[in-house]
Amino acid sequence: MTITWLAGLLRRRTGRLAATAVGISLAVALIAALGTFLTTSKATMTARAVHSVAVDWQVQVQPGADPAAVLNTVTKTAGVTAAERVSMAATTGLSSTVGGTTQSTGPGVVLGLTPTYRHTFPGEIRQLSGSPTGVLLAQQTAANLHVRPGDTVSIGRAGSAPVVVIVAGVVDLPQADSLFQKVGAPPKSQPSAPPDNVILLPQATFDTVMSHASTAAAPAPTTQIHVVRGAPLSSDPAAAYESVIGAAHNLEAQLAGAGVVGNDLGAALEGARSDAIYAQMLFLFLGLPGAVLAALLTAALASAGADRRRAEQALLRTRGLAPRKVARLAVVEALLVGTVGGVLGLGIGAAAGRLAFGPSPAGSSASTTLIWAAIAFVAGLAIATLTVLVPALRDLRTRTVAQSRHAVGRPHTPWWMKSGVDFMLIAGALFVFWASSSNNYSLVLAPEGVATISVSYWAFLGPALLWLGAAMLLWRIVDLALKHGRRPLARLIAPLTGRLAQTGASSMSRQRRPLARALVLVALAISFAASTATFNATYQQQAEADAQLSNGADVTVTESPGLRVAPAAGAGMQSVAGVRHVEPVQHRFAYVGADLQDLYGVRPASITSATALQDAYFTGGTAKALMAKLAAQPDAILVSDETVKDFQLAPGDLINLRLQDSRTKKLQTVPFHYAGIVKEFPTAPKDSFFVANADYITKVTGSNAVGAFLIDTGGTNQSSVAADLQRRLGAAATVTNVTEARSQVGSSLTSVNLAGLTRLELVFAVLLAASAGGIVLAVGLAERRRSLAILSVLGARRRQLRGLALSEGLLITVGGLIGGGLIAWGLSQMLIKVLTGVFDPPPSVIAIPWGYLTITVLTVVSALGTAAMVSARASTRPAVEELRDL
Amino acid sequence: MNHIENLVVCTDASRTFGSGLSAVVAVQGTTAQVVPGARIAIAGPSGSGKSTLLHLMAGLELPTRGQVTWPSFSTDAAERTQDIGVVFQSPSLVPALDVAENTALPLILAGVDEQECRARVAEALERVGVSDLAGKLPEELSGGQAQRVAVARVLAQRPRLILADEPTGQLDHATGQHLIDVLLATTAQIGAALVVTTHDRTVLERLDTHWSMHEGRLLTAATQGVLS
Ligand SMILES: Nc1ncnc2c1ncn2[C@@H]1O[C@H](COP(=O)(O)OP(=O)(O)OP(=O)(O)O)[C@@H](O)[C@H]1O
Ligand SMILES: [Mg+2]
Repeated sequence: MTITWLAGLLRRRTGRLAATAVGISLAVALIAALGTFLTTSKATMTARAVHSVAVDWQVQVQPGADPAAVLNTVTKTAGVTAAERVSMAATTGLSSTVGGTTQSTGPGVVLGLTPTYRHTFPGEIRQLSGSPTGVLLAQQTAANLHVRPGDTVSIGRAGSAPVVVIVAGVVDLPQADSLFQKVGAPPKSQPSAPPDNVILLPQATFDTVMSHASTAAAPAPTTQIHVVRGAPLSSDPAAAYESVIGAAHNLEAQLAGAGVVGNDLGAALEGARSDAIYAQMLFLFLGLPGAVLAALLTAALASAGADRRRAEQALLRTRGLAPRKVARLAVVEALLVGTVGGVLGLGIGAAAGRLAFGPSPAGSSASTTLIWAAIAFVAGLAIATLTVLVPALRDLRTRTVAQSRHAVGRPHTPWWMKSGVDFMLIAGALFVFWASSSNNYSLVLAPEGVATISVSYWAFLGPALLWLGAAMLLWRIVDLALKHGRRPLARLIAPLTGRLAQTGASSMSRQRRPLARALVLVALAISFAASTATFNATYQQQAEADAQLSNGADVTVTESPGLRVAPAAGAGMQSVAGVRHVEPVQHRFAYVGADLQDLYGVRPASITSATALQDAYFTGGTAKALMAKLAAQPDAILVSDETVKDFQLAPGDLINLRLQDSRTKKLQTVPFHYAGIVKEFPTAPKDSFFVANADYITKVTGSNAVGAFLIDTGGTNQSSVAADLQRRLGAAATVTNVTEARSQVGSSLTSVNLAGLTRLELVFAVLLAASAGGIVLAVGLAERRRSLAILSVLGARRRQLRGLALSEGLLITVGGLIGGGLIAWGLSQMLIKVLTGVFDPPPSVIAIPWGYLTITVLTVVSALGTAAMVSARASTRPAVEELRDL
Repeated sequence: MNHIENLVVCTDASRTFGSGLSAVVAVQGTTAQVVPGARIAIAGPSGSGKSTLLHLMAGLELPTRGQVTWPSFSTDAAERTQDIGVVFQSPSLVPALDVAENTALPLILAGVDEQECRARVAEALERVGVSDLAGKLPEELSGGQAQRVAVARVLAQRPRLILADEPTGQLDHATGQHLIDVLLATTAQIGAALVVTTHDRTVLERLDTHWSMHEGRLLTAATQGVLS
């Protein structure tokens, strides 16, 4: 019985069953593919975090403990692949005499390194000039002392005479922050900046120079054991974080008080952990609505076939089949559709994932793929149950045999419209949005050192409620318009339908329920596509801005400190193929009070030809306005928020900096006037700095030396232009390009393969929008084939029938596009606000992907047009035969 | 032969459904004509091809052999439809239009102006006794009511040839007789020809020409005479 019925079902309703299965497959594919994305990106984040630290652990040997014993214990600990000893001591100051003048610095740090240290920890020290072995000087120290390799430096020692050493090389310490951390101290009592003055000695030299008798004034040198770990880590940042933290505690227990672990790896994973949460939220944000949409589409398709199903059920029941058996048949149908859709969806998902993320993305293992496949499959079955089985069972319970004939019915106002659920949802959305955009809200709260992360998932309610509420409101509006607007509607469709305009309008008005449903579905799909595309475009724009910010421009030529390069050198760079603009930027150091900060001298009129300045970088004016101010008033200066607070500055206030005069090599006081706040600036560090007019700085310091050249290549060929420049300039300058920076900005979501996600999602969104429009209209018109047949036997011309079908298509298209566009606009605003934490820097303008939007609109329009045309002319059967069918 | 032009002429017309072994010859080698003012009843067992013949005469179905012509009607199919009114055996109302709108459809398609359209629809509904149902949807009607609306639609159309396929099939005797009265009166009034298929003897007796069908073959008065 079941088998025969199933065979009959497959024969008679192939099209509709297939359409339902396709709807389910879209949901399944989306979930499976996005699940893979989630797992993959988490793995990438873990890998990046591991890669980003130069030293995994810094074990601080406690006073009185034996460094050798600690080293021994650490080396023997499971999971440790290498460990090196590092000595640290304080110096009272460094000084040097170059060219007859003597420079000296404040207190600093002396490091003692083993000969193999730089080999074991290649990321810790970067050579800038001179020899890699021997005494090394940190870049800023070398700049302060005007020292070059070969010069001598005297190291001040508390309680002893200074010792003189010959500097072999100048180095950069990229990870100075963690290198000079106070191990074991809470984040709040960590030094705000690494020491300004650092000198690195070979361990043997250190031992002879710094191990003089310790006195109260001169504390004994301390020792750290730097560790490389090799233990395998979970690909999930949160799990990896926990295991690393656990291992560190374990080691501390073994050391029994002799050492404290500074867990750099743990800290990096901690950052990755919150990024992983963001990835998870992107998954929720982008994947969930897509799956919901696919489910709604499936429901619309299934309900379009509901009349026939009801008639069949009625038939089965009049033939005396018990309701229980009819129900069993419905279960079989749902299972069939769910399974076929699920298998199809897994296939599509695998193919789409491969297209978007490559054949076997790092971190995707068979087990995670299987888990996601299972989740997606179960979701598919759930959708089948909800859209096929539940309505069938409900009909079975509530409908009598006679009632099941009814097809059109007088549309009554649905309960949600009566009780205003749409308005409540929108009000709820606005409330949540208001609450979540208050100042102290942050989407993800990952307190340092705490294993749990709190995510304000409720903030997602805002966009979710808005999406649903706006869709329902649209439904209400369409319903009202069709109910009361027959006359205008008739006038609108008259060009298409001719004499049948009035009739067509009446019919559409009575069919407003399926029409509104199709229209809202199209609007939902379009708003999904448009708002996610807008979000992605904005994200990309900000990621680009972030990369530009850290690199400075497409290509940046950083001159070696100590070299004096005039702006004219830019002319030579201008001649390199692919270079569009070369912009010199001065880089100096300035004292404000006792505080040393970076000072950037820019040419306000032309800086934006080389790099983008976003309004979000500044406070107290737009980027344009503040640059104009610097141009108009040469002694204007932009300072950091912190400086404004520290010195209680008001706009126009005098601020005196101490700058080095290039002629006298002495610090001299230079007056500036506070003009605005700068938070970020190309090439500038994340902490406090100044931005001022280059001409003014040249005038007051007597030097026009350039720190870096920012080069615009028009956003293309950055690597090749950089390579050309490097070849031309040799070792004198460091050439970096934005593509490297993009891959190095590891702290934010850039590490996630958002491009793949975008591709995947945009394709799905277009598919959903097109099928929402096309399939729903086609199925709806198929339901109306009978009506068209009656009109045809009464003498309606083909043109008029096509006009009727096109009118419906047009209503759905135009209404869907307008409604979808409006919803998308509101949704994008809200999405970007809620997800602000994902953006670094926060966007000042939303990027609208016009190209993609055009493609989406064209796809939807052509899908709807095709559906209308095809269904208007598809009935090749004589109309009378259509009438013979029930 | 007389000079009156025929409304429809079937010349050795056949209609076969399907092909090969499963082919069904619904109408076979039929030659017949309908003149203006004719009142013809077609009787015959179920499945004998009555409906199919009516569809052929309406031009809604094409003969697979032989031909069907309409000497006095337009050659344009859509225009011709305006001169031929069909009452279908199966439900034929547009579900999304109410009774009045359904009844008005042929008039709207013919471009009758709104005022006249309304008057003719009201009159036709009045005649078949369903005026009170004007605002109802087809699914809110009983089978008999729907059939009367279908008849009203043809009456409002005022065609020159009315083809009614078992118009009384779902009606009680009295209502059926009334409907036939209305059909006969209207045809007389507008000078149309009427062809009715029926299983009902009392309906048969009201019409002056009797044809019968048997396994796709039409037996007209002329052929009957030959046979008997
Ligand atoms: N579209 C079709 N496809 C296949 N067979 C058809 C079709 N239309 C009619 N037939 C067949 O043609 C034959 C004649 O059918 P028709 O409907 O003309 O009979 P009828 O005399 O009107 O019967 P009834 O009195 O039951 O209405 C039947 O055997 C029917 O099965
Ligand atoms: Mg029949």
